Amino acid sequence: MSLLSRLKGLLQIHRLERDVDEELRSHIEMRAADNMASGMSPQEARYDAQRRFGNATLLKEDTRAVDIVGWIETAGQNLRYAGRMLRRNPGFTLVSILTLALGIGANVAIFTVVHAVLLRPLPYPHPEQLVRVYDDIRSSQTHGVGMSVPELWDLRDRSGVFQDISVIFPADANITGAEHPERVEFLGTNANYFTMLGAHAELGRTYTPADALPGFSEPVVISDAYWHRGFGADPKVIGQKIRIDGDLYMIAGVLPPEFRHPGRTLAADVDLWATTGFAAPPFPAPPARAVRLLPGVMARLKPGLTVAQAQAQLDNFVAQLTRQFPDEYPPASGWSIRLVPVQQDLVGNVRTELFVLFGAVGFVLLIACVNLANLLLARSASRQREIAIRLAIGAGRSRLITQLLTESILLATISGAAALITVVWLKNSLLRLAPANLPRLSEVSFSPSVLLFAFVISILTGVIFGLAPALQAARTSQISALREGTRGAGSSKRQLKFSRFLVASEIALSLVLLIGAGLLVRSFRHVLDVQPGFEPHHLVTAKIWLAVPNNPKDDPYFTPEKRATFHQEILQRISALPGVEQAALGNGTSLPMDFNRFQTTFLIENHPLDIERTPVAEIANVSPSYFSALKTPLLSGRFFSDSDNTKGQQVVLIDETLAHRYWPNSDADAIGQRVQLGVVRRGQTSAAQNPWLTIVGVVGNIKSDGFDAASAPHLYRPLYQAPTYDGVVYLRTSMDPGTLGDSVRAEVRHADPTIPVFNVRTMDIIVSAFLAERRFALELLGIFAGVALLLASIGIYGVMAYTFSRRTNEIGIRMAMGAKRADILGMALKEGAVTIGFGVVAGLLGSLVLTHFLQTMLFSVKATDPITFVTIAALLAAVTLLACLVPAHRATRVDPLIALRHE
Amino acid sequence: MQGTLALLVLKSLAGGPMHGYGITLHIQCVSKDVLRVEEGSLYPALHRMEQEGWIRAEWGTSENNRRARYYRLSEAGRKQLAAEEKNWARLTEAVAAVLEFAQ
Repeated sequence: MSLLSRLKGLLQIHRLERDVDEELRSHIEMRAADNMASGMSPQEARYDAQRRFGNATLLKEDTRAVDIVGWIETAGQNLRYAGRMLRRNPGFTLVSILTLALGIGANVAIFTVVHAVLLRPLPYPHPEQLVRVYDDIRSSQTHGVGMSVPELWDLRDRSGVFQDISVIFPADANITGAEHPERVEFLGTNANYFTMLGAHAELGRTYTPADALPGFSEPVVISDAYWHRGFGADPKVIGQKIRIDGDLYMIAGVLPPEFRHPGRTLAADVDLWATTGFAAPPFPAPPARAVRLLPGVMARLKPGLTVAQAQAQLDNFVAQLTRQFPDEYPPASGWSIRLVPVQQDLVGNVRTELFVLFGAVGFVLLIACVNLANLLLARSASRQREIAIRLAIGAGRSRLITQLLTESILLATISGAAALITVVWLKNSLLRLAPANLPRLSEVSFSPSVLLFAFVISILTGVIFGLAPALQAARTSQISALREGTRGAGSSKRQLKFSRFLVASEIALSLVLLIGAGLLVRSFRHVLDVQPGFEPHHLVTAKIWLAVPNNPKDDPYFTPEKRATFHQEILQRISALPGVEQAALGNGTSLPMDFNRFQTTFLIENHPLDIERTPVAEIANVSPSYFSALKTPLLSGRFFSDSDNTKGQQVVLIDETLAHRYWPNSDADAIGQRVQLGVVRRGQTSAAQNPWLTIVGVVGNIKSDGFDAASAPHLYRPLYQAPTYDGVVYLRTSMDPGTLGDSVRAEVRHADPTIPVFNVRTMDIIVSAFLAERRFALELLGIFAGVALLLASIGIYGVMAYTFSRRTNEIGIRMAMGAKRADILGMALKEGAVTIGFGVVAGLLGSLVLTHFLQTMLFSVKATDPITFVTIAALLAAVTLLACLVPAHRATRVDPLIALRHE
Repeated sequence: MQGTLALLVLKSLAGGPMHGYGITLHIQCVSKDVLRVEEGSLYPALHRMEQEGWIRAEWGTSENNRRARYYRLSEAGRKQLAAEEKNWARLTEAVAAVLEFAQ
């Protein structure tokens, strides 16, 4: 009875019972019929038939019990036997468990992350309805340009696809009134934000429709973390007044600890939510359609509407608006609205990365399986005698296969348990390896799905590596196996071929991983070779934020002059700090690689306006010393000076990219030209009232969007001429940022005690955080590829060692007949080369197909980079050839006389 | 005797498929009433042997149109039979030898 029918038997005990019943009844009836034929009365005949059975119920139960208990017993026997076999070969068992635990552990670890980040739905009701809404301008290929308030209102009231729609406005905010001013992560939303996400306050309340007022409304909601950090989890916090950026607000509610805003924030989890209507101060009133000041919008689709359907309806709606407002939406600019599911938006390009890593660990596990299969094959040769005996005394082949499979599944399950325990134990250290910007990292946990995955993958692993050797072993011809004793060459030829096939596939799999890792290494080196345009070493940065009260009358820094004076005072104070060689100031967007960017369109005087290609640049405001502090070169003209202030001529600096784009002949041509910033419309510009800015110099490119991004054109304005509320302090120093941060804090407190200093970091840390994601993928794939190479080498070494140990005799004869050591080595090389050759060719073909998945993670390297392919293939071939020479070399060292006797 | 029932059943089935009742009749008849298989032990034995994979069972119709469960010898069963026959022969020889020696 096969395992399957046994299982069926167990699951269908009911049917089984009926079967037994019927079988016994038919027996009794036949006996009774025969009794009657021999002359008994019907009653007597029946009585006799039943009497012979004795207690019919007992018998029935006995018979049935045999069926049910049978397979449990067999399984138990198999398990006990398997356990005994594993204990008997502790070396083999240990090596196998280590190999498998490595493979399974890597898979469980990556799956845990994949599950938390990609698979698990967001923790909000009907998460599939949540979308991000982006404005795109197709003509200048800018995505997510922000949305204007009238556009938001149109989408809310007239588009007909959203249940709820809310602004997402992350910002810095200063909390004052306590001992020290504190900077918090602030999120401005509409009043229906929490309704949209289906969130409820744990304490107090969230917003009500009554909170939907123009401007900001008084009640705010705080996170559980901030409640603990800032208020000592005081339940009396509800109703308490706090000052945010100088304005009075009232805490209306505290959110549950598990609630997180599903989107990017500036620096940390959101501490504080405030609601706004945007149509009153501090926002421009009345709102203009062309001023896209809302940085992000999130919405919940109407029930039953798919994202594609909603997108189609929105496309129509956009076409209608474009006709209605031809001035704001010139058809040539290609304004459109794009919906992205929140889950996808949150995960972004991490998706590809995680799937690549998941694929890679899958490969590692497969290689581990192949290695074990080979090991078992070699071992089954020495177990042939045992198996032949068991066959001879009547064990069925299926029983034998089940037995051998039980062994491998037991092995895999033990390894799986070991792997799971290790991963759980190392969870926090493993998570520290992950880049901090990996979304939903805090949600990583060992849920039932992870346990199920670990269980299923362990069983599967056991079947995969155990099946082939089990089938092979059960095919053993008992006669020859018994005759040949332990050497059992009965099926060796076919088995050897199969082993070589396994090794070749192992080599192919590791080649794919190695090439993938090689491509990432090359990309990483290319990235590191990119000049960032500034000197990140010995540069400390810190942020400040001047509060913006909602009422301009409360704002001590309302006029540009006041702000400029403050900036100058700060710069003076920190420049004088001991150990600081040079100091500079800039606004938030001046900090490279910090995700804080501001793009604007601009006009060049006397340049024809091409509506299809409106000039766009990233803009930052910087103090005169900014470029010298960052060590960015001046290419033409001059840097800013202290006299570039609110009273001086309106000036601007441009970078090399921008200069080359519009003045291709010489950087010097740009000097003296004038530009105007603002939104460009058909034939005219809303920037008409903005001043013309004269270009006074050209500076080197700063890779503000990171090493691997294309150089965006930059425009720089003098900070003292256009002073901002946000600020970044730059200090060229070799001092420790920790103590320096305290000194900066002290200086800023002297200037204004209400202004917090936050995010004190060295530029090196900012840069390495930027590279973290790339480094993470590289390191993990590198480790996996290394493990694969090791396993493949062990694999081919094992097979060759096995082959040669069996051929000691033959080699002895050859040596005795005069073969030189080199001949034997050559023979080994030739045999190994064939296997390796097949593996390498298959691996190269596989890589050609599979490396395309890496494309988005590569940087100035093609997915089919011939140099990487050839180098890595050669490296792998060399290592594996070496692995097969070692056993051959050892075989030649045996004394021919001993070798000849070796039987 | 322990194990003899299996040998008897296997041997009976070597001639072709039979149902349980058929097996009792066959053994009784061929052994000229010397051997009688007890129903109480026959069926558990049959099911055990089925699990060992020596015999396979399927439902069929008997000579007088009754549904009955027919047992058939499998390849493994044939081997098992050969092995047990050999064992039996050795056993009986051994017993005979001991008896002769006792003279």
